[in-house]
Amino acid sequence: MIEVKNVSKKYKRKQVLKDMSFTAEKGQITCLIGINGAGKTTIMKSIMALTPIDRGEILIDGKKISKDAYEKITYIPDRLTMSPNYTIAQSFEFMADFYKVWNEQRATELLAFFQLDPNDKISSLSKGNTAKVNLLLGLALDVDYILMDEPFSGIDIFSREQIANVFTSHLIENRGVIITTHEINDIEHLIDKAVLIGDGRVLREMNVEEMRETEGKSVVDVMREVYVG
Amino acid sequence: MDVKFNNRDPVYVQVIRHFKEQIAKGSFAPGHVIPSRRELANQLKINPNTVQRAYKEMEEQKLIYTEGNMPSCITKDETVLKSVREELISEAVQVFISSIKSINAPLPEIMELVQKQYEEAEQRD
Repeated sequence: MIEVKNVSKKYKRKQVLKDMSFTAEKGQITCLIGINGAGKTTIMKSIMALTPIDRGEILIDGKKISKDAYEKITYIPDRLTMSPNYTIAQSFEFMADFYKVWNEQRATELLAFFQLDPNDKISSLSKGNTAKVNLLLGLALDVDYILMDEPFSGIDIFSREQIANVFTSHLIENRGVIITTHEINDIEHLIDKAVLIGDGRVLREMNVEEMRETEGKSVVDVMREVYVG
Repeated sequence: MDVKFNNRDPVYVQVIRHFKEQIAKGSFAPGHVIPSRRELANQLKINPNTVQRAYKEMEEQKLIYTEGNMPSCITKDETVLKSVREELISEAVQVFISSIKSINAPLPEIMELVQKQYEEAEQRD
């Protein structure tokens, strides 16, 4: 389980996270929802200790993040950080050099899943295919937790569908996933939990099936309540 | 398998409903092997934990059964199968009655119309 406990953070004088708390379970898909600037990316970076927090603590399976934890949790940023001069195959070698938990077999499987050609140069790929390579490099790591920042943003509908298919496949099985989005429609039926964020705070944390069961409300219904009032 | 899910009812309830309809229609015969949790999640594009919940519920209702490590199957219990069909029909009739009652339409008139329109609908299919 990933536990975010009372986390606050300032960038210069701007308070971007305000006493934020939520949890994300293993074997579940947790979705952080909020408009741009709500603090979604900052909280992801905080979980990964890529940016320091001012107050609160973040635990991964009960422990604070350390160097070893990077073989247990991975972060897929909203754009590919691999050198554009590499081919996809070369980017695999790069990952294999840097991660003990790189799983070449799963990477090959994902190539077929996304219908990508390993000999293509990254700079030559379409936006949708670049997003798929980005996701692939993270998913091919044998880690327990995967954090994905806006995996659906700015790509065409068919690529979105393909990416959504990953979530129901064995590629995600038993892992804990946190994804951020400002567009819930594509994935409403795929997620276990929704955490609504606004202005650096958690406005609502809910199990989506439970919400439908007890209140007969969709995620969008609750969003409307929370954000529009 | 193509199912349209709405966003307000629990998805696991909608999955069970889908199975009941298939059983009532006879598309899922007694003993019919059903997809694994993962396969169904993939086909329907829904959360695997939700499918798990639906399967657990259906096991409890004895709609499906699992023997050891074998894939799950539709029940062969005739009483259960019969009750599924009766349940769906009775539910649909109840909905019909409550909407017809709200406009105070008399039963003989309705029965005649039901018969006529049902036959027309069957001819169209």
